[in-house]
Amino acid sequence: MNLRNIKEILEAEVILGADFLHKNIEMACGADLMSDVLTSAKTGALLLTGLINPQVVRTAEMAELGAICFVRGKQPGQETIELAGSKNIPLLGTSLPMFESCGRLYQKGLIGCSEKLEV
Amino acid sequence: MKLKEIVNKLNLIVKSAGGNLDREVTGGYASDLMSDVIANGQEGNIWITLQIHQNIAAVASMKDLVGVILVNRREPEAETITKAEEENIPIMVTDLPAFELVGKLYQLGITGTK
Amino acid sequence: MTQDKKITKIQELVYEMKVGDVMQKNVITVSSQTPMNKLREILRENRISGTPVIDRGKLVGIISLEDFIKWLADREQDCVIGDKMTRDVRTFYDDEPLVQAVSKFEQSGFGRFPVINRQDGKPLGIVTKRDIIEGLLKKMEIDYHEEEIHRYRASHIFEDIVADETALLLQYDVMGHDFKRAGESASRLKATLRRLGLHPQIIRRVTIATYEAEMNLIIYTDGGKILVRVEPADILVEVMDSGPGIADVKKVLQPGYSTAPEWVRDLGFGAGMGLNNIQKCADKMDFTSVVGKGTSLKIYISSRNGGASEIKRNS
Repeated sequence: MNLRNIKEILEAEVILGADFLHKNIEMACGADLMSDVLTSAKTGALLLTGLINPQVVRTAEMAELGAICFVRGKQPGQETIELAGSKNIPLLGTSLPMFESCGRLYQKGLIGCSEKLEV
Repeated sequence: MKLKEIVNKLNLIVKSAGGNLDREVTGGYASDLMSDVIANGQEGNIWITLQIHQNIAAVASMKDLVGVILVNRREPEAETITKAEEENIPIMVTDLPAFELVGKLYQLGITGTK
Repeated sequence: MTQDKKITKIQELVYEMKVGDVMQKNVITVSSQTPMNKLREILRENRISGTPVIDRGKLVGIISLEDFIKWLADREQDCVIGDKMTRDVRTFYDDEPLVQAVSKFEQSGFGRFPVINRQDGKPLGIVTKRDIIEGLLKKMEIDYHEEEIHRYRASHIFEDIVADETALLLQYDVMGHDFKRAGESASRLKATLRRLGLHPQIIRRVTIATYEAEMNLIIYTDGGKILVRVEPADILVEVMDSGPGIADVKKVLQPGYSTAPEWVRDLGFGAGMGLNNIQKCADKMDFTSVVGKGTSLKIYISSRNGGASEIKRNS
């Protein structure tokens, strides 16, 4: 699945990184606690979160995540967007709640970070 | 779907209020932010979270949620279980991360929009 | 975004490089007394399409292939170049930045400009659009090559050093309560470790542990420092602050235990998982604290025993 598919499934807008919609995403994790994301999310995963502060981008940088999608209609500020720009991390935003976002993506075949990728 | 069926189908371990699993789950809410659940949680929701401190029992009771599922192998604190028993709020745990647990609930027909 | 970066690089070079860097020196010149019928030979032999006209070391004009063709077409009598050359020559100074030269090419529509010394007006060379493009490309290639060498050197630093034991010591200073810069130290450390060519999985564990420790310094202390000792196969991250210190060390190691205020939780931290996360990333962790004195945290991460191992899951 690529970011474009994810954008469509979540009826999301692209906040940053329209050039990266072809980027492949295989896994996702959903959390509002960055400490959890840091150790449980896998490299390249999509992060679904209701937090919009710059620490979310920092976390994505440290854990080498593939992209961030803000849920519950939260709009990140300029500082968050600029940091993401400098780290080349694409940002999406959806008005759907976390539960619905995770459910839809899982239904369409995105797996969680504890599952093994089928080769 | 009744909470009891969900517990059985997803192999959840019940940590409190095991006698209160007959309520109907009408939807799901996933969040780790207390203020967000207070604002947006709906009566009849099952709540998926990483938070383990005793406030979760109070919030679940206040919003009349059906129960709380702690994900990613998180264990509730002792005070949390005591509080949950008092409020008769079932707390369950699973090894799955939130994304996967929600995915499986979604496949059982529990959705996250009103 | 990589495209943007390349454009920026060229923009940078266009300001940085001077006309003198890209001009052709050793230019073939003619005198104003050279006959026109000799010009064709000169242009053809040297494969050029125009040349400056110099009399007694001074630039007096410029003559081009177009001028020659025009002269041929008009079937005029033979004459000297001085009669047909462009006298009002526009020139560049050799210390002019390329960006000015580019805009002069655009405005004038000329194909070549003689280059002269700003002080004495002495002709130094000639420059065409092609010279500018070639010069830029060459410079980019050199820069790229230098970066490659730079990277290679950094990633082989341990092999290049001759010693019985080698360690690199890095220090990052963290200001307390400075949320604007929270994560910068971990981010800089990560970039450095990458340059050193360490295993990605090791880098990930070190960065995540350092990030959590950095957040702790920012949230709970007035600041401190992060010392990182990098050896070929082992990394020691030492995090020190000077207070306030922790009374019950056992308790803060319990998952979920936290004294963080609500606003810290709103940042996605302070859920009592930081030290557990550090433990999960570390092969070994030492944690000591004295109330009123400060806290010291030592994080060992080794690549010796299957160093590429992932972060430990909760047990």
